[in-house]
Amino acid sequence: MKIINFYKVLILLTACLTNVGFAQSGKVLIINSDSAVYRYEKIAIEFKKIIQQNGYQWTEFSLDRYPEAEVELKKRIQQENPALIYCIGTKAYSLAHNAAPTKKLLFSAAINWQRLDIGQGTYGVANELSSAQEISLLHYFFPTLKTIGLLYNDNFSHEYVETIKKDALALGLNIINQPINDPQEIGDALNDLLPKIDMFWIISDPIVLNGKESVQKILQAAQQQKKPVYAYSDVYIDQGAVLAISADIATIGRQSANLAMAMDTNKIPSGTVQSPAGSTITLNKCALDSLQFKFNQDALDSVNTIVGCDK
Amino acid sequence: MKRTLPIFFIFFVFISGGYWSAQSNVEPTVDAVDAEPTFYFYNTETNINNFATLKMGFDVYLENHGGYYLQPFDLKENFEKSIQEKGNIYLLSSWHLKELQQKKVPLEIALVATAKGDTMQRKVLSANKDIANVSMLKNTVIAAAGSEEYVHSVLKQILGKGQEALLKDIKILIVPKDLDALLAVGFGMASAAISAENGLDKLAQMNPGHFRELHTLGFSEKDYILIAATLKKPNQQETQLLKVLREMSEVEAGKANLKLLGIDGWSTLK
Repeated sequence: MKIINFYKVLILLTACLTNVGFAQSGKVLIINSDSAVYRYEKIAIEFKKIIQQNGYQWTEFSLDRYPEAEVELKKRIQQENPALIYCIGTKAYSLAHNAAPTKKLLFSAAINWQRLDIGQGTYGVANELSSAQEISLLHYFFPTLKTIGLLYNDNFSHEYVETIKKDALALGLNIINQPINDPQEIGDALNDLLPKIDMFWIISDPIVLNGKESVQKILQAAQQQKKPVYAYSDVYIDQGAVLAISADIATIGRQSANLAMAMDTNKIPSGTVQSPAGSTITLNKCALDSLQFKFNQDALDSVNTIVGCDK
Repeated sequence: MKRTLPIFFIFFVFISGGYWSAQSNVEPTVDAVDAEPTFYFYNTETNINNFATLKMGFDVYLENHGGYYLQPFDLKENFEKSIQEKGNIYLLSSWHLKELQQKKVPLEIALVATAKGDTMQRKVLSANKDIANVSMLKNTVIAAAGSEEYVHSVLKQILGKGQEALLKDIKILIVPKDLDALLAVGFGMASAAISAENGLDKLAQMNPGHFRELHTLGFSEKDYILIAATLKKPNQQETQLLKVLREMSEVEAGKANLKLLGIDGWSTLK
């Protein structure tokens, strides 16, 4: 009888142990594509801070520190048998997905995550804000804006542009989208598009942004026709874009940590890949003033960086 | 090859974007604290990393109005270490001031900030329609701007003694600003958000659809929006600094700087 009771306790204990999350039972392995890249490192720092506060253990593997990273990574995964793998950057995700396809995987900072091979049990935080977030903030800064124009390549950006149009319409904004097949068409397309719009939007399309010359062509043409340019990255601010809104990288790390903990307890919110929750905003006041383009002054407390003419 | 180059270009933009963000992250150290009469600034209620812009804007203005400086801080500890000598003004949140006063730091309110005619505001806990009441916040994510301890304290106050136990089952997602927190609810990254009341007004203006989807679960007590404090009663130098601060709303350049802090002016406590 005593032996039966002992086995009952043992079975109960085993059941309990298999149900506890990886806070108690295992580690999180963080794979960083390149620890020398500031944004990857910042994401990793914030992620570690949050999971550590919540009692989780972690180890880190930076691909740039190993000449035979793929082989070393496989070894590390076998040795540590982590409960969850957090991949920062596309390279980290691709290698982890190959090395441990059945593990719980979480990714962030992956460019164009839609092209990744995502299996069941994989979650992520996207690298870019959703177009709806961008348009909401854009609308807040420029409430009088009615028509926005953009160039795109239909093969690369068809879906994204359709989403932009739908999101813009919800806020009463009209998008005029002009497709191009080759960067050589940019000049003519701009001549046609710019007179019809209040603002030009640079989206991350590889045909439109074929190189520095293409970007220069867009910004020069917009300046000549006195049209402000909005961009998805602050890299274009120095070249004359009036506003740039992008994802806040520290928030991506914290958001990923929350997702990791939700994966642990199987209480994951709907959707496998979340948009980043934080934004960072750069306003080129010099360019706005020279265009005499009005913006909502009350929005200034949301701006991270204001670029003036004296820099 | 033709298609690799543009993708490489976009990748470069992505990487260098992080680099520029890193460059703009100017964290002052206590060693760098100036001996000149200075306005020291730290706000527990926001995470907007706009110190370089704040410093540049205020310094240009203050240099022409008495030769003063603004020293913004990212870290609470560094800001607190700067509270040592008389002759300076400390700009901080009401919550932070109370905390310091409890630690017997002799800071006193000299001016209070005004925004749209108000000197005080409440924090609001707003949720999506699926969260009918606070008890449904268990195992959810609440987005908020501000320091972690501040957000935790506000949430505790809003939940009240009856629901305080929920705190351990709620995950807080710290975001840079109120608008990010509110949009995070609209876009499904969080179930609820804590924001200032005027944050909700901004959302209504920015995205009326999302605003309509939110409902209020609770309010915090009213608190001053921002405080200008001195160590004990203001002396002659501090009175001069406070005058400069109060007069900022009278000129365009001053107004623009105040907008960076989300305020319209300063007034004396009635």
